[in-house]
Amino acid sequence: MSAAAIPHDHAHDHAHDHHEQSWIWKYVFSTDHKTIGMQYAVTGMLFLLFGFFLMLLMRWSIAYPGVPLPGIDVLRAIPGLGWAFEEMFGRWLNADGSLNGELYNMLGAMHGTIMVFFGIVPLGFAGFVNFVMPLQIGTIDMAFPKLNMASYWCFFVSCVLMMLSFFVGTGPVQTGWTMYSPLASTMTIGVSDVWNHGHTWWLMAMVFNISASLLGSVNVVATFINLRAKGMSYMRLPFFSWAMFVIGFLLLLAFPPLEVAALLQLSDRVFGSSFFLPTGLVEGGKHLDISGGGSPLLYQHLFWFLAHPEVYVLILPAFAILSDVIPNNARRPLWGYKTMVYSVLTLAFLSFLVWAHHMYLTGMGTMMSTYFQITTVLISVPSVILLTCLMISLWGGSIRFNTQMLFASAFLPMFGIGGLTGLPLAFSFIDLALHDTYYVIGHFHYVVAPGTLFALFAGVYHWFPKATGRFMSDKLGKLHFWPSLIGMNLLFAPMFIQGMAGFHRRWYDGGKYFEQTAAFQNWSTTFTHKVGAFLGLDIPDNMLSLNVVMSFGAFILALGQVPFIINFWISIKGGEKVKSDNPWQATTLEWATPTPPPHGNFVFDVNAHRGPYEYSVPGHPADFFPQWESAHGTPKPDGSDAPAKTESAHAAHH
Amino acid sequence: MSDSADPAELQKHVKKYLLIGGILLAATAATIAIAFYEFPTHSMNIIVGMIVATIKASLVALIFMHLNHERPLIYKFLAFTTVFCVVLFVLFIFSNADPLVDHGFDAPLEAVEK
Amino acid sequence: MDIPYTVHARPDTGLYNAKVGIWLFLASEVMLFGGLFSSYIFLRLGADYPWPIHELDWTLGGINTVVLIASSVTVVWAWAAVKMRKHGLYKILMLITILCAAVFMVNKTIEYTGKLNHWSVTLTDGSILSGHLPKDEKGHYIPYQVKFEGQEITLTVSGMHRAVDANPVDYVLPHIEGGAPKFKAAPAAAAYSFAKAKSPDFSALGSSDWELNASTFAQIRSISLAAAREAWKAERDDKIALAEKALAAAEALPEGQERAYGIQEAKKALTSAKNFNQVPDTKIKLVATAPFKVAVEASKLLARQTADAIIFRDGSAATGKLLDDKFTLEADALDLRSLADQAREKSLAFDARYLGEKWQKHFIANRAAENKKFDEKYSDGKGGVTRDREKSATFKKHAYGLHLDSPEPKGDHGGALGDGPHHPVLHIESKDITFFSNYTPKLNTYYAIYFTLTGLHGLHVVAGALVLAYFLVFNGRMLREDPEHLANRIEVGGLFWHFVDLIWIFLFPLLYLL
Ligand code: HEM
Ligand SMILES: [Cu+2]
Repeated sequence: MSAAAIPHDHAHDHAHDHHEQSWIWKYVFSTDHKTIGMQYAVTGMLFLLFGFFLMLLMRWSIAYPGVPLPGIDVLRAIPGLGWAFEEMFGRWLNADGSLNGELYNMLGAMHGTIMVFFGIVPLGFAGFVNFVMPLQIGTIDMAFPKLNMASYWCFFVSCVLMMLSFFVGTGPVQTGWTMYSPLASTMTIGVSDVWNHGHTWWLMAMVFNISASLLGSVNVVATFINLRAKGMSYMRLPFFSWAMFVIGFLLLLAFPPLEVAALLQLSDRVFGSSFFLPTGLVEGGKHLDISGGGSPLLYQHLFWFLAHPEVYVLILPAFAILSDVIPNNARRPLWGYKTMVYSVLTLAFLSFLVWAHHMYLTGMGTMMSTYFQITTVLISVPSVILLTCLMISLWGGSIRFNTQMLFASAFLPMFGIGGLTGLPLAFSFIDLALHDTYYVIGHFHYVVAPGTLFALFAGVYHWFPKATGRFMSDKLGKLHFWPSLIGMNLLFAPMFIQGMAGFHRRWYDGGKYFEQTAAFQNWSTTFTHKVGAFLGLDIPDNMLSLNVVMSFGAFILALGQVPFIINFWISIKGGEKVKSDNPWQATTLEWATPTPPPHGNFVFDVNAHRGPYEYSVPGHPADFFPQWESAHGTPKPDGSDAPAKTESAHAAHH
Repeated sequence: MSDSADPAELQKHVKKYLLIGGILLAATAATIAIAFYEFPTHSMNIIVGMIVATIKASLVALIFMHLNHERPLIYKFLAFTTVFCVVLFVLFIFSNADPLVDHGFDAPLEAVEK
Repeated sequence: MDIPYTVHARPDTGLYNAKVGIWLFLASEVMLFGGLFSSYIFLRLGADYPWPIHELDWTLGGINTVVLIASSVTVVWAWAAVKMRKHGLYKILMLITILCAAVFMVNKTIEYTGKLNHWSVTLTDGSILSGHLPKDEKGHYIPYQVKFEGQEITLTVSGMHRAVDANPVDYVLPHIEGGAPKFKAAPAAAAYSFAKAKSPDFSALGSSDWELNASTFAQIRSISLAAAREAWKAERDDKIALAEKALAAAEALPEGQERAYGIQEAKKALTSAKNFNQVPDTKIKLVATAPFKVAVEASKLLARQTADAIIFRDGSAATGKLLDDKFTLEADALDLRSLADQAREKSLAFDARYLGEKWQKHFIANRAAENKKFDEKYSDGKGGVTRDREKSATFKKHAYGLHLDSPEPKGDHGGALGDGPHHPVLHIESKDITFFSNYTPKLNTYYAIYFTLTGLHGLHVVAGALVLAYFLVFNGRMLREDPEHLANRIEVGGLFWHFVDLIWIFLFPLLYLL
């Protein structure tokens, strides 16, 4: 891929390389994949924080239904922030400052939407893939840099629209992140100005979000296929890039049906059509003024056709990141690299065939249900293979427990719990009891929160030095990790117990008004009750006690994020400087670039000489053998093949 | 298409495009004519109509979009897309009428006759 | 530092970047339209009404098919022209392609406007009448409105925030003819169910002849809310006092189980009293100084109008008397397919107030003729037929429907054409109507999917044409200096254009013909 080999098409394009770009073109409207990656990542992190805040409000209401929010008056008095809080949430609160069901529903729907479509995917997929993948495959940028910029700005518009939905007349949507029709189509249908309704804004935002992700994923797949460096054959690609390529495909092919669903629902709301509204629909005792003839099931099919592949879009960035972090810190090759590649491809394929396991209770026929049960059980096989390969990669390693490795190690059991609790749900006869209970909430939060989120944290700690030239503090990192681990488990583990006891999801009062259900006691409630009594708290000895435990867990989790936020912002300017371009002694190509990588990335002619995970190669002097080194660490005499200098001092934590 | 720019070759291609254009127009006329002819059942009308449309669409894809000699990679993309698209069609239909318990596989066809 | 493979193909994949990109994009487009087509199938199989067949005029659709096919030919030809370096030919062909797109969109516009002005009314027995609205002298359609004379307006200001709260300024005033109405005295507010609550005091509004507008309503609203909150607080204090009394009473009991239980229950009651947060709604009645006239489209009402009340979508209700809510329709077709066989000839549409006996006779005669035609066409030679007539969509359409293309049945009195309307003009009473709509997505799922599919396809046509026009207008320099690059662009743009054509090839028969 030397410059000479590339035919010279547009000489004029060179111009901007030589001029100093103005600030706005360099950092705001940039076409550089690294800047775009960081834009995506930071936006994603801000939304994760915001979604987390929504959850804290919900958890307050669940643990203490009807009790005024603590500190609400103080919050309202803060200039600016108080106004925003009042406009977004405060105006819906009860007169005494407590939450009601309506506000809870808004929070719940927006929490789900924001976490999935505006938090995890932008950070885990768009952020990491943009920053890391072009470096890893040894190219100078994405295949279509302008489209890439368009993708981010499209996403940005969708963020703005989604946030504006908090401010409009009826407030944001209240019908869950799944936005099931007919409820979502007819909710407060009385609003005659559709722009006064949060749902319209939600749908518009989703249309932009989907368009952004289509632009992004076309770019990722095309880059992966056409821009690999010399010598970078498919089987020399790091698993990270493979997983990202697969996610690109998932987004590309699964999102369009959701776009269809969004468009049809928009038509139902704006033009009064009946795509998802059955004949004779009665709401609030009144026949609606609609033609009917449509089907709510159609919506669910279209939605889950996306949303099941979407859950793999949520989890695969985790596997992608860990496939770099774990071998790097265990100083062992990734175990079963090829198996993992084939597994992830199988997983992607199967993920299109299982969606209706979210719909067992819709009265589908036996044949359909059997089919979906079989495919769902099948798909857990590749998932387990991926996890197992990562675990075996630890075997016999001399592990460096830096922060990213701590998060990576915690991921393994946490994802294990999440995945294993998914298996029973695959069977319709069990799902009959567990559907829409807290058990399901526990299942997927174990997969996404201590699963994906932990992996994303690991990724941030891992690539931060490449992006900024500085390390994040290890001490603060540990202060981040331990409370997070404890908080997560306090928060999500009791959900399984509550779920099996019949607690339904989406109860704003956490089940308080369902005495029959709530009165149930077992060891966990008694234990909680006793611990509470010991601490001088009046926690009842029934299932409701777990609500308090979980909200307490959420609080610990919230505190645990403070060190991370401090660490992240302070380390950008004040972190310990890296002493080489390859501070973790890694093998993949992104570590061969200068730090931080300049526009155009590589300063030498990149060539991938070997596979991506050559750690502890017998007979090799160093315990790693980077892809870019031609033979035993000796650069070519003319320097064209020179690797970036690598440091061995910071091996630190054995 | 390849990078080759042999004018004589291209001229031949242009003739082919015009020919295919003519065939497509004729097929459109046929589609309309067939639609007003009554087959024994309306589902047969639909099936025949869709077969003609598929032939037309294939001509566009193969000749105009050069899919008759494309790179293997493109075929791979499209093969997966086709599979998922078929899934999207077939499973939606089955979930509407369960062949095991309801009316057998004719149910979808019956529904069209209403 | 350029991105590699923008012009020439990468050797091992054999593709240049944009080619990979466009095919990926098209794959996702396939899924987009795949989702729409499968929705079409789903809706069609699940339809609980006769799916319209041959209802759209196929000529415009047919012309559009021809136009798109022609443009597909010209766009590949244009690509070949650039490859052959025949720049003049390229420009002409590209221009033709873009003109084709324009023709396509003009046809679409004609089709769409025709539908917006066509109405369908479903009667209570399932009979469907369709036609046009009457026109005024200037030739504009007169919209269907409910006319009402109001005396009083009742507003409900909700105490708990509700998504749609009383908002007469946006929901009521726009429909009142002759400016905002004036109201007598201060409004009367309905009492709360809470024992000690005081009614709000509206004397600040003045006693007579004040106008309902944004500022007076804001006043009404804030007074009501303040009073409602007072009421809530008083009620809560009451409840708390009661609970505290119970607690004291329980604590006064002698030690023992009863006392413990009493205290526990009283504490619970106290907590729930403290958490009581039901701010009541305020119903406010406004009495007008003079009757006011309302003319409002039915879609702006929350529920059906009654003889003495209408309710707007914000919940505000006007009481008075209904002046007129008849739907005037110049009917051009009647569809009785949804009725049971024997009920068809007794359809409500044949009531003396509407089409009447003459059309009823005409219907019966027409049905007999169609039956005969069917028997002859599908005769099995032994007096039976080879086909189930109830399964023939075309038979049912012709036999159970009626074209109303003259004011009176033709051949009866030789329907008088000429000046007057060309169709029977019906004044349909609101109580006889279950549903009405113009031919928009609201009418039924067929039109809903029709508009969505063709609309989305139309957007693709516009987008494609814009891209091709961009190449033609702005890439002149590339054509001269780097034609190979432009050829790639045109190939990519052309691939998109063919895809748009390909979609139409399916849309045309599915929506117009089958
Ligand atoms: C390992 C194999 C897995 C199996 C067998 C499985 C199975 C299931 C089933 C059957 C449900 C539906 C439960 C119900 O609604 O009644 C479900 C829900 C869910 N799963 Fe999984 N799952 C697996 C892995 C994952 C992964 C990896 C993720 C995400 C990263 C995930 C995320 C979700 C989400 C978000 C829901 C709930 C969606 C909602 O209703 O709001 N699952 N899972
Ligand atoms: Cu799923």
